[in-house]
Parts: sequence; structure tokens; C-alpha cells
Amino acid sequence: MIPALTLGKSSSYLIKKLLKRSASTWPGHLVLKMDPNFTKKILNKNSNLKIILIAGTNGKTTTTKAISHVLRSQGKRIFTNEAGANLLNGIVSSLINHTDHFGAINYDCAIFEVDENSLPIVISHITPSSIILLNLFRDQLDRYGEVNSISKKWGEALKKLPKDTKLITNGDDPQLRFLGENSSLHSFYFGIDEKYMTKKRLANDSDSLYCPHCNSLLTFSKIAYSHQGMFKCPKCGFEHRPTATFPNLKNPLIGTFNFYNMNAAALLLQKEFGISEESIQKTLSTFSPAFGRQEKIEYKGKNIFLLLSKNPTGFNQSIQAVLSQNIKPYLLLSLNDRIPDGRDISWIWDVDFEELESASNITITGDRAYDMGLRIKYADIDEKKYTIEPNLLQAIEKAISMLPMSETLYVLPTYSSMLEIRKILKGQSIL
Amino acid sequence: MNQKSNYSLTIAWLYPDLMNTYADRGNIIVLQKRCQWRGVNAIIQKISISEDENLLKKADLIFMGGAQDTQQEIVNQDLFEKKGVSLKKRIEEGTPGLYICGAYQFLGKYYITADGKKLPGLEIFPAYTKNSGKDRLIGNIIIQENQTQNTLVGFENHGGRTYLDDPALAFAKVVKGFGNNSEDRTEGILYKNSIGSYLHGPILPKNPTLADWLIQKALEEKYKEEINLKKLDDELEMKARNAIANL
Repeated sequence: MIPALTLGKSSSYLIKKLLKRSASTWPGHLVLKMDPNFTKKILNKNSNLKIILIAGTNGKTTTTKAISHVLRSQGKRIFTNEAGANLLNGIVSSLINHTDHFGAINYDCAIFEVDENSLPIVISHITPSSIILLNLFRDQLDRYGEVNSISKKWGEALKKLPKDTKLITNGDDPQLRFLGENSSLHSFYFGIDEKYMTKKRLANDSDSLYCPHCNSLLTFSKIAYSHQGMFKCPKCGFEHRPTATFPNLKNPLIGTFNFYNMNAAALLLQKEFGISEESIQKTLSTFSPAFGRQEKIEYKGKNIFLLLSKNPTGFNQSIQAVLSQNIKPYLLLSLNDRIPDGRDISWIWDVDFEELESASNITITGDRAYDMGLRIKYADIDEKKYTIEPNLLQAIEKAISMLPMSETLYVLPTYSSMLEIRKILKGQSIL
Repeated sequence: MNQKSNYSLTIAWLYPDLMNTYADRGNIIVLQKRCQWRGVNAIIQKISISEDENLLKKADLIFMGGAQDTQQEIVNQDLFEKKGVSLKKRIEEGTPGLYICGAYQFLGKYYITADGKKLPGLEIFPAYTKNSGKDRLIGNIIIQENQTQNTLVGFENHGGRTYLDDPALAFAKVVKGFGNNSEDRTEGILYKNSIGSYLHGPILPKNPTLADWLIQKALEEKYKEEINLKKLDDELEMKARNAIANL
């Protein structure tokens, strides 16, 4: 028996029973205070448990859910950390909540999404059998720092893993391919089919445009979005190589970014669990996304489509996904600057809102509604087309009242705003 | 909103693919639109590694933003080997410009890294920057311009601390936030017609008076005549400022 486990289990019980809250971070926090080696001890006792870690700027929750969906349909017993609880304390809490009082974890596999900055510390506590690095875009620079510094930290952390660990990473991202090629792990690369690489030019949200090897400007013969595509360094020869693209896999969601998420999931399922492509294809066709990520909600008899949009690349991808559904969309944009969103809202100037020129109507809300309004103004969108209403409830009512019955309202919120909007639309809390 | 005029400005954007980590392209968008809405033809000339330094000669207004360490190393080399001399000449001649964060630091005398290495700067601004490895200075910031007394708002996020040879050269004083070094309450530098500053946000959208000052100066320098810019409706700009100014 591990003493700290008793503390963890009882604190988890108290939080759930007395506070009626989900015990997604506190038990882990307390247990690690009492016993910093808790995780290693509990995992040594359960050496059959397979652990998958998933990190990246965008798509962690969706990819985690896609993998769980397929594994569960195969009869595997799976658990994951709660969405958003992706720091070390959240992951350890999840372990505690899925361990019985005798210290046994009666599951086949745990899939944990991990915060970009927390990956090194999580790896020092947990040895995964596979690790997925999805992508690396600029996000909350006030909190995470810059893309290069994260990629350096990741590279250092990967060195601590046993050589038979599988690394599943994005072969279309120059920085991540470089990371994979320079790591001693078993690296496998996913990408997307060339036919989806249709961007004509590199967008402003791109970061990794110079050769990670020799610092020369990379050339791109094809661009998916941001700095993902078919790249080549004219100087040292570092270049894109074939990736696993699963051309027969149908994307159950909208948006190019979800091809990446699905292909990452498929490659992991093949390499780690030996599941056939055919079987993956069949099961993923019935996949539905996590809350707030491409979630369809009916409100007052009208159709609403929620697309979490929390950083430049994510927002650009949401805009493209919406336009692929309706070239003259009705939109609600909501910008908050709370801790989970990042306090710095500069990033909205990296988003190509100019693409929304053809929109039918845009309602703008959130704590920083006027900043978003300003961005839309400078995108030169006709002022008759947009309304600014900082009060969220009133903004939703306005947007709904202007929405024709046959149309869909596309809601693009930052994280904290997505939670609030969902509460209003569904009349309940999220977890 | 458009006004007819025969004026045009060439705005040079230095290293847009490298020195552009903190959404500073917003400054370019604002300069371009505020020119356009007044009928001033604004031409954006991107000048990066592969472009010729002679393009700087045609610039009426210069902008350069901040970046990550790796990107800054690439730019550093290009500035020292190629474009630094032309840039210095233009700034000394009085070409108006805005240099944010990393760009502001480059233009100083030198930069001392966290591990004590002294990297030479372009020696244009009489200032130097030191990164003592202490916490980054991050948060919303409010400053008051020394020349105009205008209040400006923004967001700062920098590890380096900048010290001016003469504090009288400061662009502004800090009302709330850290500024140049979190010690002497100064923010940025005003040198000839060039401004160095740590303000992101980006700086210009919520500070239209500063955007207009740059446009006006650039037109005056180019056409050698007094320019009175047409007033624009900045109601929304003022409302967005209040989100920070009311802190």
C-alpha cells in the first residue's frame, strides 16, 4: 500500500461529495506534496498499463478522444485525464481517480493530453510507451514563451526516455521533423495528403520558416497551413519526406487541421496497437468531437455550431472551416483575456479576419469585445455587417435574433468564453 | 471615409517573416489603413534576408518588430553584414520609424545576454540592454509620452532591461507597468524621428495618435511641407483603450 494514495483517494472523495466538484487537479497536487515519487511507485505496481502522452498547441483533446473512441470500440479499457487538466497535477489526479484502494489500476491504457510546457516534468514522472507531438504554433506567448524555446525543451525531455519509446510526430512541420530526426527514439511521421495542401502563400501565423538545422530560409512547394507543408532547405538539404497520410480515411470533422488530428490518431493506433487501417477507418466514421470543438447545439430552435478558437493558427483554421461550410456565414466572435485564455490579446492581429469579408453578419463579444471590434474594423469589413456587444448573454440573443431559421450561427470563442457560452446554450455546467 | 490626395508613402517593413512573433503586423495594418482612409497611397515594402538593402533608400517610414532568440540571431547577422549601415543612415537622416522590442534592442549599443555575453548592437540609439536572467517583464502597460503628454496603452513581454545614456531621451514615462527596465520608470526612446518601445498590443491600433504622428512626420519629411491629417472617427479605438486604461 502506498500511503500517499490514501490521501489522494480520500481528498478526491471529499472534493466530489462535499464540494460537488470534479477532483481533476487537487488530489494530484496534495499527493505529490506528500510523496514526490508517488507516480513512479504506483506505475511500477501496474507495469501492464500502457501510457500514451499527447502534446501540441492545437488538437490535443480531439486526438485523445479519437484514439479512445477506437480503442474502446475494440473492447479496451481506457481512461484519460479530464479536458483542460493537463498539467502534472491533473495527470496524477487522473491516475489516483482510476486506482483502486489497493493500488491497482484496472485499465489497459491511459491516454493523457499534456500541456506544452509541462511535457518535460510529466516525462520525468511517467514513462510512456508512445508520445504524440501534434504541432507547434505560437500560443499565449505571455505564458508559454516562444515556439523555439518549447521545441528545445521538448528535445531535451525526449532524451530522457528509453530508446524503444515511439515518437509519433508531424512530418509536415519543419521543427517537429527536425526534432524527430534528431531524437534516438523510434520516430514515425504523420502528415496530410498533398491534395489538401492548397494554400498559395505562407500566412502571418507561421513560425518555423527557417531551417532548424542551418538557419537558411526554407522553400515550400506545397502549404497546408501555417508552417506545415512540403519544405526544403536550399542550403543544407534538410527536407520534407513522405509521411503517413491515410488517403482513404474520411475526416469525420470539418477543417484541414482535423486531417492532421485524425492521421496522428491513426498512426498511433497502427504503431502502438497494431490496428488495421480498415478497422480505424470504420470506427472513426462514427466519431463525434469533444465539447466546444465543432459541437452542434440547438438553441431556441436555431442551429449553433461551436468552434473553439484560441490562438492565431486555430482561429485561422476555424475561419477556413466555417467558410468551407458557408461562404456567407453568420458569426459570433468572443474574445476573453482571462488566465486560461492568456492575458495578452495581441495575437488577434495575427489572424486573417480579412477572410471574413463575405460574412453575412458578425456579432462581437467578450471581455475584450472592443479589441476584437477594432481588429474587424481594420480588416476593412463593412461596418454595417458587425455589431459589438460586450455583454455575452445579450450578444447571444442579438446574434440569434438576426439569424434566419435556415442558417447556422458559427460561434468562435476563446477557451473561457467557450465554457460560458456552452453554459448559456445548454443551461448546465460542462463537467 | 476616403479622402482624395496625391500623397503616397512607402512603408518599409523589416524582416516581416522573422521579427513578427508578437502580432506586430497589426502596426503595419493600422498604418496602411489610416493612410488609405485618408486617400494616401500606402505601399508596404517588405524587406527581409533575401531583399536588397538599397530598398531602404526608398522608405518614407520604417517599421520593425520583435522575435524569438533564434530568429534574432539570423537577423543579427543580416543587419551586421548587409542592412545595418543603410538603416543607420536613414535613421540619422530623420526618417520616421517604429522599432518594437527586439528591434529596439538591436538598435542600441550592445546587449548583454543572460550568460554574460556582450553582443554588439547597431549603435544607433544611445542605450544598451541587459538580460540578467531575472523574470520576464510581462503585463498590460500604460505610459505617458514625454513630448505630447498623450497616454498610450499596450502589453509588454520582455526579458531584457534597457538603460538609456540620458533618461531625457525617453519616449515616455511609465504610469503602470515596467517599461525600459522596471527601475527608472522610463519607457522607450525617441531619437530623431524614430521611436524604440517595448509596447506590443500591438502598439498602434489602440494608440491612433501615435500612428498619425508617424504618418504625418513621414509625409512632412517626404514632401517638405506642413501636413494636417484629416481626423478619423476613433470612437472604437477609445473604447478598446478603456479595457486597459481603466485597470
